[in-house]
Amino acid sequence: MFKGREEKKRPRPSHIRQQERFGFAMITPSMLFLFVMAAFPLIMLVVMSGFRIDLTYPAGNRWLGVGNYLQMVHDSRFLHALKVTAIYTVSTVFLQVVSGLALAMAFFRSFRGQGFLRVSVLLPMILAPVVVGLAFRTMIMTPEYGILDYISMVLGFGSKPWLVDPEWALFSVIIIHTWQWTPFAFLVFLASLNALPSDPLEAALMDVRNAWQRFWHVILPMIRPAVVIVVIFRTMIALRAFAAIFSATGGGPGTATEILNLYTYRESFNSLNLGYGAALGTTLLVITVVISMIFFRMRESRM
Amino acid sequence: MGKMTRREFMKTTAKVGGLALAGSAAPGFLKIAGAQEKHGEYLKAKINWRQVEGEQIKVLVTPAHYFTKFRAVSPQFTELTGVKVDFEIIPPRENREKAVLDLGAKTGNYVTHTADPMFLPLYEANQWIDPLDDYINDPKLTDKSWFNVEDIIPLWRAADSVKGKLYGMPVEGEATIHIYRKDVYEKLGIKPPETLDEFKEAAKKANKFDGKLAGAALRGFRGAGQNVYIWPSLFLAFGGKWLDDKGKPQVNSEAGVKSLEYYCDLLQNYGPPGVENMNWPEIMEAFAGGNIVQYIDANSTASIIEDKNKSKVAGSIGYQRWPKGPSGRRVTSIWNWACPINAALSQKKKIATWLYLQWLASRPTQFSSAVYKETPEAVVRTGVNRVSIWSDPEYRKIIGYTPNYADVVLTSMKEDTDADWRPRVPEWPKIGEAMAVAIQSALVKQTTPKKALDEANENIAKFMVK
Repeated sequence: MFKGREEKKRPRPSHIRQQERFGFAMITPSMLFLFVMAAFPLIMLVVMSGFRIDLTYPAGNRWLGVGNYLQMVHDSRFLHALKVTAIYTVSTVFLQVVSGLALAMAFFRSFRGQGFLRVSVLLPMILAPVVVGLAFRTMIMTPEYGILDYISMVLGFGSKPWLVDPEWALFSVIIIHTWQWTPFAFLVFLASLNALPSDPLEAALMDVRNAWQRFWHVILPMIRPAVVIVVIFRTMIALRAFAAIFSATGGGPGTATEILNLYTYRESFNSLNLGYGAALGTTLLVITVVISMIFFRMRESRM
Repeated sequence: MGKMTRREFMKTTAKVGGLALAGSAAPGFLKIAGAQEKHGEYLKAKINWRQVEGEQIKVLVTPAHYFTKFRAVSPQFTELTGVKVDFEIIPPRENREKAVLDLGAKTGNYVTHTADPMFLPLYEANQWIDPLDDYINDPKLTDKSWFNVEDIIPLWRAADSVKGKLYGMPVEGEATIHIYRKDVYEKLGIKPPETLDEFKEAAKKANKFDGKLAGAALRGFRGAGQNVYIWPSLFLAFGGKWLDDKGKPQVNSEAGVKSLEYYCDLLQNYGPPGVENMNWPEIMEAFAGGNIVQYIDANSTASIIEDKNKSKVAGSIGYQRWPKGPSGRRVTSIWNWACPINAALSQKKKIATWLYLQWLASRPTQFSSAVYKETPEAVVRTGVNRVSIWSDPEYRKIIGYTPNYADVVLTSMKEDTDADWRPRVPEWPKIGEAMAVAIQSALVKQTTPKKALDEANENIAKFMVK
């Protein structure tokens, strides 16, 4: 494919080699750090997933091979967690892209007070997810006393079981995640809108009357790369979301908001079934990597 | 200053301590008095308190008020023994995880921690902790007649024992009791319920009688220490048994299903909004705010709801033992904070830890810390570990919220439960988790009580297969 780029091999001058050696010496500490902090735990995770490591019955610990993975197929709680993860990821990413785009379009043209509004839009992203989850649970979505519930009652919709009804709870944690992370999409979209060449936009302004058509046929295709980047980033983050759900619902009520990450945590640290927990963690890792690779391929092929 | 009696000593300690700020707990006048007077009660023990002088130990505790008091009086232990005690304060759930990680990795970071007794069989199965009997029976380490381990509430010791050996030292505990608004009961002509059926009737009658008051509350939050801290009492009161004679789980028995139906029916119809996510602090707050007629939970909540600065309903509260279930039994919880000794320690550190546990669980420390005021608004401890303190008129006066309060708690602890209130097996963490999910799923109608328990029973059976 890239025949033209191939270069003939020729000996490199010694000062270049010296520089290379120096370069390696410089990156060695950080590579070592990365290995100890990232690669080693990852390898351990995969190794552990092949064992039965159950602290509640240490005498029975042994090598299982793929036994833990086979067990997953019959584990209804795992399958449920997979479903919840899929719903959670798809809907939060979709909502973030749509509302991020809408906000970016609104802020695209300058108006008075834009600076202030832009900062306030960014605020949620600055908060720690665990704080966000707690705030929603204790101040915003609390029955009767929460702000959101109060507004809902004032508007005549009545008190809603935000975090206590299985279906409402899933809806609520999706809203919480979207609320917190839409600013990220907004920022990226706004930056790429501002970087667009003005000629096609002006031409579109002359030729296309309908604003919706202008957006759909001119602007959106031009910022497509930004949309793909946001989708990739946000999908990876949503797949491994944890803190906000953990503090808002703890995966409950029942298992209604138990995404795979939470189930992995519970299995490992509540049930102390470390081997099976490691297998769940590995599965989540594989899913995340595969999805990200698919997205990156799509991005490469069409750009 | 003349020689003081024990009682005077403790009274003064408490009073002076109350004036002093937390942290600077050793009162000034005591420093002037000789060591003999200051630690008089402790020096009666025929052991060498200073045998591992200079050691330093780190203890993992939760932020509960009773541990705040223990922390505040611990400098006195350092004065007595020369052993320095550091504390790490972490909420219960994270506390448990940290402790398991520390024990599992054998890092020996925490010499002891405030353990959930239900975890002791797990610790024992992994040989992470030492049997305390070895320390108690060593005359160099323990003066048995002074320490008098038999005085510590027998059920707690039973709950903290595995295979007949004591593994955790009970330092604080509680029982669940029925707590209700006397004024509301009187207004509506309700008699304190004798049975669970009457309890539900009372909840029904009182529910929303003024438009907002909730009829009753029980813990709804998911967790082995939350909803699985209340439901087992219902389960057993309905005549249930966790395991049959062959060790097979029985949570989906008729008693199991009936008790879970009762729980769901009560909370779904007469519970406060959001009860599905309520743990004891939320229930206590709602009751103190005057939004709930009654609840069944830990007796320790009394020290808050009877505090006029913290509670609207102080003074109009009644207490009684759990109502009887269909089996004719009243069943309360069994709970105490048990301190084990980490097996991964050096011999010297183990001795230092034991000296600390002995000091902490001893009668003088239990008494003085119970009434100690680390801040002016501090509440008293309602979970001392010694029968002799519970029957001490002075202590009964301090916790005399109502004339019968102390007896309600003491009788509950003596008669209304047993060590196997929940199955004490190493697999408990998994069983607790499975039950927590089942109970909450049924409560929020994600599934029916029967289906939830069938699934839980099947899962538990799988865990228990060796």
